[in-house]
Amino acid sequence: MPWNRPLIIGLLLVVLTLTWWRLQPDGEEVRRSRILMGTVVEIMAAGQSSKTLEAAVEAAFAEMERLDKLLSRYNTDSEVSRLSQSTSGGEVSLPTVEVLTLGLEISRKSGGAFDMTLGKLKTLWAFDKEAPTLPNAAELSAALSGVGPKALSLEGQQLRKASPQLQLDLGGIAKGYAVDRAIAILRQHGVANAAVNAGGDMYLLGQRQERAWRIGIQHPREEEGVLETVQISNRAVVTSGDYERFFEKDGVRYHHIFNPQTGMPARDCQSVTIVTDSVALGDALATAVFVLGPKAGLTLLEEFPQAEGLVVAADGSRHSSPGWTSYQVVP
Amino acid sequence: MTCSADDIQALSRSRRQVFLGLFIAIAVSLHAFESLLPTPVPWLRLGLANIMTLLALYLYDGRAAWSVSLARVGIGALLLGRIFGPGFWLALVGTLFATSAMIIVYRVAGRRLSPIGISAIGAGGHALGQILAARLLVVQHAAIWQVLPFFMLFTLFAGVLTGWLAALLLEELREHPAFQQANGALTNQ
Amino acid sequence: MKAPWHFMTGGDWLVVLLLLTSSLGGIVSIAAMSEGSRVLVTCGDELCFTAPLDQPRTLAIDGPLGQTKLVIDEQGARIVESPCPRKICVSMGVAKHTADLLACVPNRILVHIDGSSGKEVSYDLLSR
Repeated sequence: MPWNRPLIIGLLLVVLTLTWWRLQPDGEEVRRSRILMGTVVEIMAAGQSSKTLEAAVEAAFAEMERLDKLLSRYNTDSEVSRLSQSTSGGEVSLPTVEVLTLGLEISRKSGGAFDMTLGKLKTLWAFDKEAPTLPNAAELSAALSGVGPKALSLEGQQLRKASPQLQLDLGGIAKGYAVDRAIAILRQHGVANAAVNAGGDMYLLGQRQERAWRIGIQHPREEEGVLETVQISNRAVVTSGDYERFFEKDGVRYHHIFNPQTGMPARDCQSVTIVTDSVALGDALATAVFVLGPKAGLTLLEEFPQAEGLVVAADGSRHSSPGWTSYQVVP
Repeated sequence: MTCSADDIQALSRSRRQVFLGLFIAIAVSLHAFESLLPTPVPWLRLGLANIMTLLALYLYDGRAAWSVSLARVGIGALLLGRIFGPGFWLALVGTLFATSAMIIVYRVAGRRLSPIGISAIGAGGHALGQILAARLLVVQHAAIWQVLPFFMLFTLFAGVLTGWLAALLLEELREHPAFQQANGALTNQ
Repeated sequence: MKAPWHFMTGGDWLVVLLLLTSSLGGIVSIAAMSEGSRVLVTCGDELCFTAPLDQPRTLAIDGPLGQTKLVIDEQGARIVESPCPRKICVSMGVAKHTADLLACVPNRILVHIDGSSGKEVSYDLLSR
């Protein structure tokens, strides 16, 4: 049968073409981790040339280190420390202005649930020490004096403190800001697909191998469990939970997200996850919603149409903002 | 009526066509029958239909083997309603690899290998082709290759079995006048 | 009915042997690969220690501040002691899936899990 051979060759060609097409290289991926801002920061960047990617990732880390030095409460040379030490405030550099502006807005809108003046309170609770102790009422009220949404005001590049002993703590927003800046640096280097993850607060740029990034949300009570998996592209994901840093005493868990009015850990939520367009905003909103509780927290989110959230209340029930379903992975 | 050389050629050709048609029919039946049997893993079959491909290869030539194997895949898929489904492509690529391998090795090794060896090679090629097709079309990540060694072990056993059955059949059929070539010589390479 | 080996030539045996050894070899190497998860410890900038994840062990890792103790057991790897002031590394919990990380920042120690063991995860990153 004379048509045999051409047919065979044709079929073999089809197979070979399919193979070649499917086995096209996926491009390069660079993955680096570094210890920064008291946590492990991991940057994953994908693209065509590993040299460009490495340079971009290095630049992103450098920017994060710079911001860490500027904004960290634990660095005695930082701007934040200087402002905390001074009696009335002082001049701040532009990155700090950005952070403070956003922080003050959230502080105001959340009725003080998000607060940047809890430096004294955090020092008091001293989660960092080996044997943390419960502060008493007197210590708490001393740490909270002067704290509140009106405690700071910003005019141009001048920060004013309402009371001299106020200690600033930008921990609830600075990490997010650093991630946002790292992403901006990556973008400047032409990277279109990347992830910057600072201990669970992250921004996902572009896609992961031609599909959206899949982000698992830690279950607040099951160590190996995942609450949900969401599909993210060009968005920030921030989770605040009562399981990240805590100690237990007499069967009660004391965690690191404080209610600025009582000085005690906020009790209404187990975890809050925010998906929005900047990690700094997500960071601040996650803290605010956590303190406010599911009802008031989700009401706050309504004022931020670009943000969606998932709240696990203290009793384990789940509440989410109306647009949250757009991120859920369809089973 | 005189028997000219042309007539003998024509007779031989039509006899070949008839028998290959028969082989194809038997191969399809064997395939359909096998598909009815339960298997632990889908698409894990003994490949009894390959016996007919081997017969075609030994009694005729490589082209005959291609005819039988490809027709079996196509008609078998049509019959079972799997045409152009994923199973079809796996079988097609597997068959392409298997038949090519068998024909090439047959031509190269000649008498040094019996149908059992040829069949074993064909079975291995079939496994390789199936996994390759699965990797490209069905399973999107490289973990599928990890299945290959297990698959090959199984197909080795299947290949030896079908090769043995083919060898038994060939022993009988080779002597039969129906399968003599036009020039009277026995076929074996 | 003649047995298979009646038909088999020397070449056949060779083919069968080849196919048999290559498939068995493949199986063995796959089994070896899936248990290959390791604990990688970085001191400062360089890799200073590796250990398999499936053997219980206690490691004492030296850093600028002193010794950090890493315990590997059936739960995974975790830091139990460290000379840092805040002990954040101790509270990081257990690392046992690929790409899990533990770190003692002040003592400049990074613990990284490599290899493919543990659960298959259905997500790229975990937000916590």
